[in-house]
Amino acid sequence: MASKYIALPKGVSEKDFDAAINNFRKVLSDDAVLTSAEQLAPYIKTMMPVADAEHTPSAALLATTVEQIQQIVAICNQYKVPIWMISTGKNLGYGSAAPAERGQVVLDLKRMNRILEVDKDLAFALVEPGVTYQQLYDYIKEHKLGLWLSMPAPSAIAGPVGNTLDRGVGYTPYGEHFLFACGMEVVLANGEVLRTGMGSMPNSNTWQVFKWGYGPYLDGIFTQSNYGIVTKFGFWLMPEPPAFKPFVIQYQHEEDIVEIVETIRPLRISGVIPNAVVIAHALYEAPVKAKRSDYVSGPGSIPDEAVDRIMKDHKLGIWNVYAALYGTQEQIDVNWNIVTQAFGKSGKAKILTEQEAADDPAFVYRAKLMRGEMTLTEFSLYNWRGGGGSMWFAPVSQARGSETLKQMALTKQILAKYGLDYSGEFIVGMRDMHHIVDVLYDKTDPEQTKAAYQCFDELLTEFSARGYGTYRVNTAFMDKVAETYGPVQRKVHKTLKKALDPNGIIAPGKSGIR
Amino acid sequence: MKEIIRNLIVVFGFMPIIIFLATTWVWAAQEDNSASSHRWKDGAEIYTKICAYCHDAQVAPPIRNRKLPLDYIRNIVRNGNRAMPAFRPSEINDESLTKLAEFISHQSSQH
Ligand SMILES: Cc1cc2nc3c(=O)[nH]c(=O)nc-3n(C[C@H](O)[C@H](O)[C@H](O)COP(=O)(O)OP(=O)(O)OC[C@H]3O[C@@H](n4cnc5c(N)ncnc54)[C@H](O)[C@@H]3O)c2cc1C
Repeated sequence: MASKYIALPKGVSEKDFDAAINNFRKVLSDDAVLTSAEQLAPYIKTMMPVADAEHTPSAALLATTVEQIQQIVAICNQYKVPIWMISTGKNLGYGSAAPAERGQVVLDLKRMNRILEVDKDLAFALVEPGVTYQQLYDYIKEHKLGLWLSMPAPSAIAGPVGNTLDRGVGYTPYGEHFLFACGMEVVLANGEVLRTGMGSMPNSNTWQVFKWGYGPYLDGIFTQSNYGIVTKFGFWLMPEPPAFKPFVIQYQHEEDIVEIVETIRPLRISGVIPNAVVIAHALYEAPVKAKRSDYVSGPGSIPDEAVDRIMKDHKLGIWNVYAALYGTQEQIDVNWNIVTQAFGKSGKAKILTEQEAADDPAFVYRAKLMRGEMTLTEFSLYNWRGGGGSMWFAPVSQARGSETLKQMALTKQILAKYGLDYSGEFIVGMRDMHHIVDVLYDKTDPEQTKAAYQCFDELLTEFSARGYGTYRVNTAFMDKVAETYGPVQRKVHKTLKKALDPNGIIAPGKSGIR
Repeated sequence: MKEIIRNLIVVFGFMPIIIFLATTWVWAAQEDNSASSHRWKDGAEIYTKICAYCHDAQVAPPIRNRKLPLDYIRNIVRNGNRAMPAFRPSEINDESLTKLAEFISHQSSQH
């Protein structure tokens, strides 16, 4: 007999699932428990090169209160039904809104979207999971609070809770988002509600201003994790600076990246440049201005000669270094001198500011990201190959020039083996450097999809063999990445999981933890 | 509520429930009721704050004033299309989606 569900959770009978769904309906209204194929369609689409069936949810629950979530976890414990949490659900290139495993019930917190507090003086916010950056941006503008957001490139449609819980990054001086998180409320698998840090103390008003509280610091264990459901989230906002100076520095040769990183590192560590510096390859920038089909046709990765032509035609460097200065005009003037002297030394850098680059669409969107303005221009990346396939490959290294060329060569070599292009950038955080490569492929082409899967698998294998760990990965490869961090970490993660969620109802499989 | 508590007791045993419900109530009482939640005003707002960032920015094809069928728009919004993400009813509910589809399809007649 055909099931009335499009998928079932692993090991749960239809009868038990029926009972669970009936109980969910008692807690939520009928229209907040979704089970039909049509209702679940937006939870199924991913950019990953695996069959949608592997990540098809059995249901989605649209909760709006903490109390409802407590009741939902009680039902999940009773029927051993696993849930997968999303806040704004735009984890694009990492699994989108689909669960890690087929049959998990998506707990969609998008409707829980109250901005609970934004304090102008202390520059912090406390929000619920469904708040988008756009919503918070509008609120700050409407109330003239003079605060800036830091957000990832999908800005308007994503949100601070989901992004930070997955340890995402942005482009202002507050861009390492989890560094600026301060206090969470978490519904645990046993239904208890934990407020981390100072939030545990009755009558305290320091929840959003002092991160550590007393005793072991707990917030970290709720990021990239499945130990609890975050229902409130505090974080710090940047006061709007009196002046802002974005700039781009272009270089013409791939080998120049060594000099670029050596120049940036001291400026970042000393704080002269206060935001993470993006060093974008021409192929990462090209889609904003150029069409791949104008330069190359047929299978295989794009040849260097075509990349050269793109650079010339569209005024791109092979490396395009984006950063900004923030502060009073006097501070900026002093730091600008230091920056231009440092980059000017070798004579290879072409330094452009708003004066020269105001009409350049790549510069315009990067500048917006660096001051927390909404833009989705980076989605141009997907016009390069077409077909909507994407996985972020994100290994971490030391911020040293010597770490760049060998990583780039290895990445290019593996991508080329599978006929894919190198759409990459290096981001100098402070002492660390993320190498971010968008593995773009045509998901409507089964051959390319298969190649993309194998390519990503090989990238992970080869990079981890050389000691490069991945900071975050899509749901199809979480086990593989967890494995690269060794058995002891996996065992500790598992021990915590058992203690906090003995029935394994919260997002089993997240970060390879079950 | 009674039924819920019974449910919770089955799963967790009696003591912890009393404690956590009690604590939740204390916090609920502290919560600021004036907190700002979100509702879309109209189709134009949704268009401006989501669609326009790509469709009016040369990232995705223009879609306004093309008399695209409402069902087609609804379908693309819910299912996504290639790189365009799908949007869930929790983000844009069915009523708002209809307003959005009308705005996209017949925008010029509204001005
Ligand atoms: C073109 C493009 C550019 C991108 N650029 C960036 C970038 O610059 N920086 C960046 O960080 N990302 C980037 N991304 C990836 C991604 O889109 C963003 O990170 C986005 O912010 C994640 O989606 P979200 O904010 O809606 O979070 P969600 O999808 O809601 O959540 C992300 C994950 O966090 C966990 N989670 C969510 N809510 C909860 C909860 N309440 N309790 C416990 N766990 C929870 C879940 O595991 C979930 O899968 C980019 C994507 C694209 C397509």
